[in-house]
Amino acid sequence: MDILIGLQTANEVILVTSRAISRGVSVLKHDDNKVVKLNSYTAMAYSGEPGDVSNFAEYIQANVALYGLRHGIEMTPNSVAAFTRSELARSLRTRKPYQVNLLIGGFHPREAKPMLAWVDYLGSKVDLPYAAHGYAAYYITATLDRYWKKGLTLEQGLKLAAQCVSELQTRMPIDFKGCDVHIVGKSGIQSADLPPIVVAPGVANKPSEATLASA
Amino acid sequence: MADRYSFSLTTFSPNGKLIQIEYALQAVNQGVTSVGIKAKNGVVLATEKKASSQLIDNDSLSKISQITPDIGMVYAGMGPDYRVLVDNARKAVHSNYKQIYNEYPPTRILVQDVAKIVQEATQMGGVRPYGVSLLVAGHDNSQNFGLYQIDPSGSYYPWKATAIGRGSSSAKTFLEKRWSEDLELEDAIHITLLTLKESIEGEMNGENVEIAIVGEPADHLLGFEGVQASGPRFRTLSVQEIQDRVDSL
Amino acid sequence: MSNPSEINGGAAVAMVGKDCVAIASDLRLGLQSVGISGDFEKIFEYNGVYLALTGLATDVQTLSIDFRKKHSLYELREERRMEPQTMANLVSSTLYSKRFGPYFVGPLVAGLNSSTSKPYICSFDSIGCIEHANDFVVVGTASDQLYGICESLYEPNLEPEDLFETISQALMSAVDRDALSGWGGVVYIIEKDKVTKRYLKTRQD
Repeated sequence: MDILIGLQTANEVILVTSRAISRGVSVLKHDDNKVVKLNSYTAMAYSGEPGDVSNFAEYIQANVALYGLRHGIEMTPNSVAAFTRSELARSLRTRKPYQVNLLIGGFHPREAKPMLAWVDYLGSKVDLPYAAHGYAAYYITATLDRYWKKGLTLEQGLKLAAQCVSELQTRMPIDFKGCDVHIVGKSGIQSADLPPIVVAPGVANKPSEATLASA
Repeated sequence: MADRYSFSLTTFSPNGKLIQIEYALQAVNQGVTSVGIKAKNGVVLATEKKASSQLIDNDSLSKISQITPDIGMVYAGMGPDYRVLVDNARKAVHSNYKQIYNEYPPTRILVQDVAKIVQEATQMGGVRPYGVSLLVAGHDNSQNFGLYQIDPSGSYYPWKATAIGRGSSSAKTFLEKRWSEDLELEDAIHITLLTLKESIEGEMNGENVEIAIVGEPADHLLGFEGVQASGPRFRTLSVQEIQDRVDSL
Repeated sequence: MSNPSEINGGAAVAMVGKDCVAIASDLRLGLQSVGISGDFEKIFEYNGVYLALTGLATDVQTLSIDFRKKHSLYELREERRMEPQTMANLVSSTLYSKRFGPYFVGPLVAGLNSSTSKPYICSFDSIGCIEHANDFVVVGTASDQLYGICESLYEPNLEPEDLFETISQALMSAVDRDALSGWGGVVYIIEKDKVTKRYLKTRQD
């Protein structure tokens, strides 16, 4: 039931992850962090089988760091994504594959371009303008299909992210304790807060006038 | 003192040589002469088939081997080492090529595979280099006819015509004078016999010379007819075929 | 979810024309019924030889890279181009080498012989059994639909422009009747010294 959302704006990538760790009907933790910083311009959001996720994220983080140390130059977000994909594809044919789904958000400082890769536990990788994993995908892909557009400002992007989260708050069966937001852009990786969205209680979330006007 | 560096074949001597490979080359140069000539429409391989005794059953012995339907091989040097290489070459053809691409390798690819096997024996522990030089003749659609020599070091050379073994240097001088661009396969066979004749002690005949050619597809060797298919280009000449050519020298 | 070849969806088709071949596929990548991407290309080019890979997306990506390696090493080693037929046998042996733990893909090979310009197409099952044809070959989750439409639309010796029309209509009609394929298409028309790549706009549902 973990939530992973990623969306590209004109100059950055926004990664949104839920804070809860839940087992069945119990919420075990309310301030979990599901994003790992891989290098200056690459962040990875992960969800899946509890043991696997932290182990795999650590493995990728260590190898990306090792590459930077060995070569004196950091891996590009694209090569990080390709490497991660191949590790998952390799793991898929082992006795116990990692069950980890990922969103890799990055920024190419040289070309000044953001990138977002959707990677699932099978090792399928796609570059997308916006993406989500798990149940969240069922609820918010429609919202993103409708309101995402090329060249969003960071402010618009965060607003759209907030709208997605608010939609999830309405639809998800249990409380996911809110979301962490990470922004990958030209000044590296930063965390941020979502702008507040006013929702009438008990009413399905409707897009704000501002978002409608900008769509 | 030179012996200090001859115990391990993987140890360089101070003058930059691997002595064991030089010795292997000496074994080759004591071997029976083999000749190869490339012509416009084919390649010929030939060697002397020297019987050490009157009692040897000569027709059950052959020194030129088929590796693929279009590639054949002959040697100078140690017979047992050669047979190991023939085995390995035939195996390499299938595992490195035919079982992957469902077609036979071009000559150069086979030569590289065999050269690799030969080279590995110069660097690996616990083995000795192969005591043979090889002549490989073949045909493929991209490079047409080819003639190659492989040495115990693993080096290989493409040739228009060449010889290996005891009489190789005088044979090569002879071939330099005889070889020309517009040679027909039949002329090449003729020159091969003339070259061998120089080094053969006593009379040369169909019994003590072995010849193989890579020429036009030999459809009669296919075993069937009626459908479009081409036979092997590699073919050994019979005693009679060789005798006829010796007689007309 | 139980059948790996039907998780991500996708379909491809190849056809022979007069001195030309065509190969086409859809652009969808999904997770079951949910569409994820509409620019997931399934046709890969290897110096004039075209390979379509449908099936499980991770295997499509793994194999396309594996064949890039094998093809490059072949051309460097042999100093010549790899013919479509040789590529087909390479695909076959690569897939069969995983006979008891297969890649879940449905491949197609299409191209013209580099010296004779003779058209060549074939398809494979997931363990590398080659199926030759001199008209058309189909693979993917819309293969049933493709068989049907190709049987009725195909005619031999089509000129490149007509072949484009035929293969495009066949692909679009077929993927519209398959929930797991569609979301756009791509068509390559391969002639002796010209290759034309075109994208197709299709229904987005």
